[in-house]
Amino acid sequence: MRAVQKPVVYYDQPPEGRPTSPGVVAVTGQWTIHQIQRFIAFISIAAAALWQICRLLTWRRTVRAEFFYQCHQVGTRALSFIILTALIAGLGIVFETLYWLKVFGQSEFAGSLLVVVLIREIAPLLVALIVIGRSVSVIMIELGIMKADGQIGMLDAQGVDPFIYVLVPRVLAVSVCMFSLTIVFTVVTLATGFVAVNALSGTNLTVYDFIFEILSAMGPGDFMTIPVTTLSIGFVTGLIGCTTGLSFSGFAPDVHDLLPSGIMKSVIATLLISFLVTVLI
Amino acid sequence: MIKGIEERRVILSFNDVSLMTAPDGRSERVDLSLDLLGGELSLIRIERQRQGTAFGDACAGLTLPHEGQVYFLGKEWSQLPSDTANALRGRIGRVFARGSWVGHLSLLENVLLPQRHHTRRPVTELRDEAVMLAEKFGLPGVPVGYSNDSLPVDLQRAACVRAFLGQPALILLEEQSSGCFKETMPNLIDVIREARNRGAAVMWLTYDKFIWRDQSIPATRRYRIAGRKLVEVSR
Repeated sequence: MRAVQKPVVYYDQPPEGRPTSPGVVAVTGQWTIHQIQRFIAFISIAAAALWQICRLLTWRRTVRAEFFYQCHQVGTRALSFIILTALIAGLGIVFETLYWLKVFGQSEFAGSLLVVVLIREIAPLLVALIVIGRSVSVIMIELGIMKADGQIGMLDAQGVDPFIYVLVPRVLAVSVCMFSLTIVFTVVTLATGFVAVNALSGTNLTVYDFIFEILSAMGPGDFMTIPVTTLSIGFVTGLIGCTTGLSFSGFAPDVHDLLPSGIMKSVIATLLISFLVTVLI
Repeated sequence: MIKGIEERRVILSFNDVSLMTAPDGRSERVDLSLDLLGGELSLIRIERQRQGTAFGDACAGLTLPHEGQVYFLGKEWSQLPSDTANALRGRIGRVFARGSWVGHLSLLENVLLPQRHHTRRPVTELRDEAVMLAEKFGLPGVPVGYSNDSLPVDLQRAACVRAFLGQPALILLEEQSSGCFKETMPNLIDVIREARNRGAAVMWLTYDKFIWRDQSIPATRRYRIAGRKLVEVSR
């Protein structure tokens, strides 16, 4: 008679019958730990990127060339679109503000209102959203394809560190261009609004008065807001774009799957930074 | 002339290495021990392209072996800080099996990239050397177009130009497809001979049986994978 061998039961196997599922607390805990780990990893990468940006040895001629190329892609090529948006925003925001303040006889508040609404809040946020949609998304796709095609591995094998050659110039270019484009956007918006008001309704403000009013309404905090907000938004969104692209592990045709989560993370980071800077400065 | 064996230094050394050549790290394992001296050409017959990539990555210290140590120019990859390891990788010329070209750079920029990154040699000097090598591989000059617009044979030649540019200490040749070196073979053998004469070592990873059997390739040693071991084949 042949002995029937009983199946070995291991202790880590669930008991037969009703399948066990982790509880709500366990799932929430695991999710929280995972998110904290990801956040710590992101902070570490940000610190490493900052260190490499400040390090002289990083800026070899190949990295410098890549930085200028990325500045051209992110900044110069977006300039016409930023100017067009600024023209429309100038007509919409500055013209309306100056016109209605004049109607209610409150023209003396024009400077402070424009500083608070346009310079501190709308300009950095609008430019950030344009840069995310136009450039950060492209960086995600580009790096995702480079990763899937083995180009990142090829650079690494040649001793060209992808972190230094690919990530650092892109992150810095997005930061610098975010700041420059915001300045261009603000100047064009204010100029358009002023010209439109003078042409359509006739104000008693001269160009000198208008500029003086804006500048005198700005305190030290307002002068700090634009560089702090734009540079930090550029740094974080650039980093999100690069890390999202470089973490891609699928095949090149699926690279577009990166976009929804990458753009969502960038937009949330932008809103958070904008809020924090408004509260702190 | 190739230097005498006592004068030649060890360029690459695998000491009782156990290498995982499959992504899961278990199903394909190759055990090997070999020394590659300056002036030598080792021809290694692999079974799959990914084995070649795994070998190449282990030679360049990109993947550390499961067991054992890999030395390049007397330094063990696992003991090197990242900057030093990257600088040493600049002494390796490699024809890649996949992902050879950065898409937004022209072929000329791609060819010059490692040398521009690791050295301070003027670009004109690098370009002149690249043109000279390109002519040896049967090109009128280094292609200035982009990889998407170029013929596969020109890409293969440009990849060879990049691998031999800047007098690397080690040259790794991987195959993108079977027979991809067919067009460039005579020129390649000449350039390999020149590189060996100046003390460079060459490791040719092939899964093409015609290249493996080709007696015109002046290989110092030939290896093939038998079971789980890399064994030397005497001819």
